[in-house]
Amino acid sequence: MPFACAILLSTTLLPAQNKTLRIAAAADLQPVLPALVTNFEKASGDTVTISYASSATLATQVLNGAPYDLFLAANRAFPQKIVDAKLAIETQPDMYAEGTLVLWVRRGIFFGAQISMQSLTDARIHHIAVADPVHAPYGAAAMAAIHSLGLASELQQKLVYAENIAQAAQFGQSGNADAALISKTLAITPTMQQAGRFIPVPRNAYQPIEQCAVVMRNATGKQTALDFLHYMHSDAARLLLASHGLDVSTQ
Amino acid sequence: MDTVALFLTLRLALITTIILLLLAIPLGYWLAFTHSRWKTLVQAVFALPLVLPPTVLGFYLLVFLGPQTALGRSISHILGHPLAFSFAGLVVGSVIYSFPFAVQPLASGFAATDRAMLDAAATLGSGQLDRMLRVILPLSRGSLLTAGVLSFAHTIGEFGVVLMIGGNLPGVTRTLSISLYDQVQDFQYAQANRTAIFLLAISLFALTLLYSQRRRSDFV
Repeated sequence: MPFACAILLSTTLLPAQNKTLRIAAAADLQPVLPALVTNFEKASGDTVTISYASSATLATQVLNGAPYDLFLAANRAFPQKIVDAKLAIETQPDMYAEGTLVLWVRRGIFFGAQISMQSLTDARIHHIAVADPVHAPYGAAAMAAIHSLGLASELQQKLVYAENIAQAAQFGQSGNADAALISKTLAITPTMQQAGRFIPVPRNAYQPIEQCAVVMRNATGKQTALDFLHYMHSDAARLLLASHGLDVSTQ
Repeated sequence: MDTVALFLTLRLALITTIILLLLAIPLGYWLAFTHSRWKTLVQAVFALPLVLPPTVLGFYLLVFLGPQTALGRSISHILGHPLAFSFAGLVVGSVIYSFPFAVQPLASGFAATDRAMLDAAATLGSGQLDRMLRVILPLSRGSLLTAGVLSFAHTIGEFGVVLMIGGNLPGVTRTLSISLYDQVQDFQYAQANRTAIFLLAISLFALTLLYSQRRRSDFV
């Protein structure tokens, strides 16, 4: 009984000593944010919790009152919806990095041969994982690239849709899909590198993936959110973002 | 509403229910009449999907029955494709996911058969299979209906497993619950509402059918 009470109390009634920052982050940031958060927590003494999902899932949650302080999306359109709903502090989304779309192919399929987007039409590729183009900006970019390279009709039967970009990578890593169109941030993780290799998708085949942020107007951790966003624009953080596969030159 | 998803969902639920009844009738019979010391463990194993998160099932189907294991490769060889991203994969997932909903009503229904009737049938020379077909099953009509309706309704309500192994393919793996999820993400609340109301109505209808039948049988 005392044990049960302790469990209940621990999550509900404990007064917040340090400030807590609640971040809603696009799934492509899953391999990126932990390093930034560790540094930020060390420097500020604040606690950060992160919820990962596709940008659309998070936008829907935020618009329906989810208690996040900061929304780090993988495009401009979803944070813009938050701005339009007058739920953000900013008058326009704050771009923190540009994303790169890559083609990842499972190890051994083409052995040493050079790969390109056209390789996807090969009969050895049965399933290509992409993130849902409606929910996930990288999914939308992937579909745009497939269309602009004229591969849509040939690849249509091979595409499988993941809820978000991390699940698309997981479909590839687990061997259920032979190739995946994913973010560079996921492709350069040791797990994905071990399971396959990747090349960038031609840069002119899709619209720039402008990853933007907004701070929630009614957030309890508003100041901490602004501090974190400020930190994301610092040289130290930009270096970390770049080393995890994001482009910060246009930030 | 997404009619392709609707028919896919109904097809999945129907096939799953038929397979489940075929599997659950012999298992329910065994559970109802066995004195084996393994009975408790078997009961526990088949009740697992009641409490197990669907994500556990999704994980095993995706990874341990995926192309990276020998078992997964042999399944892939037999089917001609991996379980993930296929209708067959959803059927396998649904059968496991809804198993307790078929087995438990049948096992308790069979166990409730009047022993005197079974003894009378045996005295008249009726064998085990004959007793099952001509005494137990007809007397367990209510339990068969319960098992069928619950399996069907529970399969229609499946979400987590499908989200993990489906790949959201229209006409293949995009079920109504996934279609509803997509509509919500896409801010199409009017469409989402139509899908949600339909799912609500189906579930309510199934349970009303169940309880009305149960009420009638109270007076028999």
